Amino acid sequence: MARVGVDVGGTNTDLVLEADHGVFVHKVASTPHDQSEGVLKGLRELCDIAGVSPADVSLIVHGTTVATNITIEHNGAEVGMLTTRNFRDILHIGRHKRPYNFSLHFEVPWQKRPLVKRRNRVAVSERILPPDGKVEIPLNETEVLEATRLFKRRGIKSVVVGFLFSFLNDAHERRAAEIVRAEMPDAYICTSSEVANVIREYERFSTAAMNGFVGPKTSLYLENLQQKLIDNGFRANLRVIQSNGGIATVETCSQKAVGILMSGPAGGVIGGRAEGLLCGRSNLITVDIGGTSADISTIPDGRIKIMNARDSYVSGHPILVPMIDLVSIGAGGGSIAYIDSAGGFHVGPRSAGAEPGPACYGKGGEEPTVTDAQVVLGRLDADKMLGGDLPLDPDLAYKAVERKVAKPLGLSPVEAALGIIKVINSNMALAIRSNSVARGIDPREFALVPFGGAGPLHGVALAEAISAKDIIVPVAPGITAAMGLLQTDMQYEHARSLIVSLRHADQAALERINAVIDELVGQCRRDLEKDGVPAGRQKFQRLAECRYHGQGFELRAQLPEARLTASNVADVVANFHQQHRLDYGYHFDDGEVELITVRVIGSEDVAPLKVARIDKAEGSDISGAFLYSRATTFDDGQSVETPRYDRNRLRAGQRVAGPAILIQHNSTTLLPPGYTAAVAEFGNLHVYRGA
Amino acid sequence: MAATIDPITLQVINGALQTIAEEMGHVLYRMSFSSIIRESQDLGAGLFDTDFNTLCESESTPLHIGSLPGYLAGIKETLQDGEWHDGDLVIHNHPYHGSSHSPDIAVVVPVFHEGALVGFSANTAHHVDIGAATPGLIIDIPDVFAEGMLFAGTKLYERGKRNEALWSYIGRNSRAARQLQDDLDAQIASARLGARRFAELMDRYGRQVILDATKQLMDYTERVLRQRIAAIPDGEYRAEGFLDDDGKNRDVRLPIKVCVRVKGDGIEIDLTGSSKQVETAFNVPFDGSTKVACFCAIRSLLLDAATSDVKVPSNQGSFRPVTVTAPKGSIYNPIYPAAAEARFAQCNRVIDLIYKALAPVLPNDIIAGSSASLSFCSYAGIRPSGDYWVFLEVNEGSYGGRPRADGPDCIDNLMANTRNNPIEDLAMHLPMICDRYELRDDVMPGAGRSRGGIGVVKAQRVLTDAFITHENERHFDVPWGIFGGKPGQVGKVEIYNVGRPSDVKHMPAKFSGLRVAAGDVHVFYAPCGGGFGDPLERPATQVLDDVLDGFCTVDHASAAYGVVVDATAEKVDETATQALRERMRAGASSAPPLSPHVEVAAAAPARRAPEPSRLTSRSGLSPLRERPLRPATGADIPAAPAAEHRDRPLTELIRGLREAYGEAWSFEVLEHSTTKDAVEVIGQLRANGTSVRESAAAGRGNGASRGELLQRAADESLRKCVETLMHDQR
Repeated sequence: MARVGVDVGGTNTDLVLEADHGVFVHKVASTPHDQSEGVLKGLRELCDIAGVSPADVSLIVHGTTVATNITIEHNGAEVGMLTTRNFRDILHIGRHKRPYNFSLHFEVPWQKRPLVKRRNRVAVSERILPPDGKVEIPLNETEVLEATRLFKRRGIKSVVVGFLFSFLNDAHERRAAEIVRAEMPDAYICTSSEVANVIREYERFSTAAMNGFVGPKTSLYLENLQQKLIDNGFRANLRVIQSNGGIATVETCSQKAVGILMSGPAGGVIGGRAEGLLCGRSNLITVDIGGTSADISTIPDGRIKIMNARDSYVSGHPILVPMIDLVSIGAGGGSIAYIDSAGGFHVGPRSAGAEPGPACYGKGGEEPTVTDAQVVLGRLDADKMLGGDLPLDPDLAYKAVERKVAKPLGLSPVEAALGIIKVINSNMALAIRSNSVARGIDPREFALVPFGGAGPLHGVALAEAISAKDIIVPVAPGITAAMGLLQTDMQYEHARSLIVSLRHADQAALERINAVIDELVGQCRRDLEKDGVPAGRQKFQRLAECRYHGQGFELRAQLPEARLTASNVADVVANFHQQHRLDYGYHFDDGEVELITVRVIGSEDVAPLKVARIDKAEGSDISGAFLYSRATTFDDGQSVETPRYDRNRLRAGQRVAGPAILIQHNSTTLLPPGYTAAVAEFGNLHVYRGA
Repeated sequence: MAATIDPITLQVINGALQTIAEEMGHVLYRMSFSSIIRESQDLGAGLFDTDFNTLCESESTPLHIGSLPGYLAGIKETLQDGEWHDGDLVIHNHPYHGSSHSPDIAVVVPVFHEGALVGFSANTAHHVDIGAATPGLIIDIPDVFAEGMLFAGTKLYERGKRNEALWSYIGRNSRAARQLQDDLDAQIASARLGARRFAELMDRYGRQVILDATKQLMDYTERVLRQRIAAIPDGEYRAEGFLDDDGKNRDVRLPIKVCVRVKGDGIEIDLTGSSKQVETAFNVPFDGSTKVACFCAIRSLLLDAATSDVKVPSNQGSFRPVTVTAPKGSIYNPIYPAAAEARFAQCNRVIDLIYKALAPVLPNDIIAGSSASLSFCSYAGIRPSGDYWVFLEVNEGSYGGRPRADGPDCIDNLMANTRNNPIEDLAMHLPMICDRYELRDDVMPGAGRSRGGIGVVKAQRVLTDAFITHENERHFDVPWGIFGGKPGQVGKVEIYNVGRPSDVKHMPAKFSGLRVAAGDVHVFYAPCGGGFGDPLERPATQVLDDVLDGFCTVDHASAAYGVVVDATAEKVDETATQALRERMRAGASSAPPLSPHVEVAAAAPARRAPEPSRLTSRSGLSPLRERPLRPATGADIPAAPAAEHRDRPLTELIRGLREAYGEAWSFEVLEHSTTKDAVEVIGQLRANGTSVRESAAAGRGNGASRGELLQRAADESLRKCVETLMHDQR
């Protein structure tokens, strides 16, 4: 039996297959017009490589950018929406804040590219009142029917229902959806309380609208992929990684497509975490550096953090779905360096992308990129990129750096290239700091895990800039994200807002909370059962999203496994204070803590990827891995004759002293003078200052 | 002489400074308690050198950005003990010592590095209530002392020790004392964090390197802005508007006059001629607000963050090329002890008029008239416990049509950029409920090739007896259209009780401390933006889209755009549209011919002017039907003397017009082509269907700049229009 992880990126589709006889990796070109083509091609080829029959693959975990791309290209479904009378424009007004402070010619994404056009947002009579969800105006079912007729006339096949205060009482939303379903049985239908049962009307409606927008195409893609797999002899269960890092079935992801919008970068964070854990480390900062962007995530104590709901935006729309907390910045191998008209020097966020790509690709790019700078500094060998599959032209890199940066600044090309690297590293380091130091995390206790093809070239410099303790370079940095797909759990989340002051919570209030917890656990249990997870392997995490009374943002506190009682409420409050301290640096002992939303996460442990131990070294002699030596310039400006080693021929327990460059098919690791790379038992590199 | 820092190190330090400012802002709004700070982000934070130059500032609300140097200068005048010690922390909000306005309390921490004072870490945030005459907001008050607690150079912490007497005093002098203190705590945490980071940065790179780098970064920002200013032809560019009233003297309109003087790479905003200061709080603190508004206008226009590929560092350099002039004793530079708390709308109007003034020379960069106002509401009441509750709400405006896009609808305008408060959150926490929140459908925004933005309608009901103060503007001066675009719409305010919805009370834009009863609903309608360019040039498909989306009625589509829409079939009637548009164009071209254009020998304009075709195509008087004639409102304005029009100042002529016809007239400056520097001004008197079209050409200058010539021509043609209109009427 075998399991496969398939991660689709903008340029490449990465695959990892784990069988009893070993772990195999593969990379094919992505097929953006239909990702499933590349996926299938990669799967078939990888099965051949591994000598595994498609029928023997039991599980395929898929990381996909399908849903994300729909939002970027804005080519989702034409969506119809039923909403509360007098509140037709919640989606048009949003939070009424402009994307820029100083601009006249800005775009307003939610008005310029609405998820639901105003003509398809129909207000119907109904009203539910706070604070208890009492019905003031019953749902006018005739108006709902009229709206469905309009939708049908316009050929709409996706309908969302979003009513005010539905987090208090979802009866109207459910009834309206029922009527629509009866009239439009083939339509894709969802309600705002199904998708995100929480307070804040704009964010909840936006999440539902996004689900209606990406849902039909996403489910079509997933179902189509599933069918193609069957047609090609695969009988595996197809699973998809969600934005929160958990995996779910095709059926779930089709119904709640909004949950896989950040599927793409999730695998990387999990893969990076797994590499750290392999080395016995749990305080980790993962840095996934690609061509155009770098994704950065902080993992304290082995726990992947979930982004504050206030920050979870996709293509300018707020999405109230748990996502792994990561920052993405426009810094990668393709980032362009340039001088502006007033003499300012910049690197990125503009990128040369895959076309034309860096100047050294010889595809017509004339602007110098970070990759070109690495070539000029002798850190990327022109004949070794992707094992020689992608030959580079050093002359073009040199000329681009010289003409566009060195000459205007009066520097030598090497100095200019060092400057490019310095600025891009500084940009990334600042982003790491904003995701760590600014959140109360001390990087000196953390290991930096750099991956993505370009990651290990920057790892040591970034670790120095943020004062990280050391660096762990993954086994296969170019494919870490795909490996992450086989390292995570089956996971379902359900949430519900109910607003209770924990200080004043009486027995009745506690019972209400307990009832909600029970209900949410029940929902998670049903989801897991549907996936065939036996009761014994089901795990439930209970969370209280709280804030101090008057605050606008919630933080997560742990709820006890047992029932909430007058005595253990204090533990929840204490846990919240602690979380607040961690995130903001202080807490209010006498602050009134208010519970806003209860969340339950149901999961099943999936057996982690079994990365094979590599052979132990017979001795410390690494000459067997030596390739050749070339002059290489390091960040201090010194150019040294630097040996290259074939990383695949290094053995566990061996040490390489810097300066050195370690080359493997999908990545290059830069080891500056004064640093040592120790080969760990699974082949990861533990890089640290000193000998 | 500062050493030169290499561009690479400079960029690295620049990134570090911006990150510190963002971190300060982040901590402040995440930790704060009142919705005006945490949701609306009505705050600013940054680092400053010992000369009070802004080194970096957070991206928060534009009005706070650029105000802190004024606070620091004011603190210098008033600092307790006269000197700074490590561990000191000052709170400051005195509007006559540099504050933006009194509710914006600054928290300032001196930054010491190796024992030397090297700069300041500071932030400002808008506080819900500082114990003013009425809860939350104030308008009709006699002087600055009715604004509440005033702090000037006051040390809340001395050498690290909190002044408990002061803290306890603060805790007893606000209707929302707990929020005030908790929000101050958030500000303190943010300022201290900034100070720590600033010192760390100096540890890392060396103090002198950082100080030299900050100087270079300011020079860099200044250089970029000066390059952009230099591309504008030299000259004086003027525009005018007026404000409803001061919140007390309901019949006195308040003129605003803006003159933009461009000379070389510098720009002056001169507000001379604007209203004298008023007797309520509707004045604008000069350093903390008037200047900041002008900085904001120029930065948004010339360093547009959305269209520039370079992110220019946010520092003092962006203020240096801009000088601001407002005579002492005017509404934009009041004299102590005039109150000056309600100042936002006046600021936004200055920005809007700066764009109008620059229209002749920056036709592809400016936008048509926006709502350019502010609706800032304070709702307050007493809880059963006897405590006050106070809720501040900023309502959104709308933008004018733009050269390449419609004006955005229902969005914070110009210098405002806050977040609205979730209506579900409001209703769960306060005795209030929102009854309506959507786009206005009672009026149409200014028609144009790009239409104006649509304003909001927001109805808030109080569930107990309450007080409402509404700082708001623009019930009379209509947002302007340009280059053939039509004017937008003014705002309105209504109050009714939920039990008697037909018994509607029409309110002035601004009022203070109004007592309302449980069940009363306060309804705000925002102004709608003016149009940009000829509506007949708007593609018919776009008009159809607007009709389908309900942004435009079927009637308005034909009357304003000449587009005939079959609403049932959801289609444009192409033939009927073509015919109607031809008829409308023919109607327009029967107007008097243009005066001959004269070539002007002036500096080549920086940017391409609108296509000449726009000159000859415009609709006649179609908007007349939808815009009922407003009764004359100028009773307070002295009657225009019947003397020679020619010798009277233009503004007087316009006053006369206003007196005679209310707002049922409009002027548009129409054309400034690149090669033929002609100005055409079209006047329309809608009372009797008169349309006058007059133009004048900018002649060859005798030493006058192109801008001056254009201005003269505009004045000349405007004068002719006024004369003709007045004459026709007689």
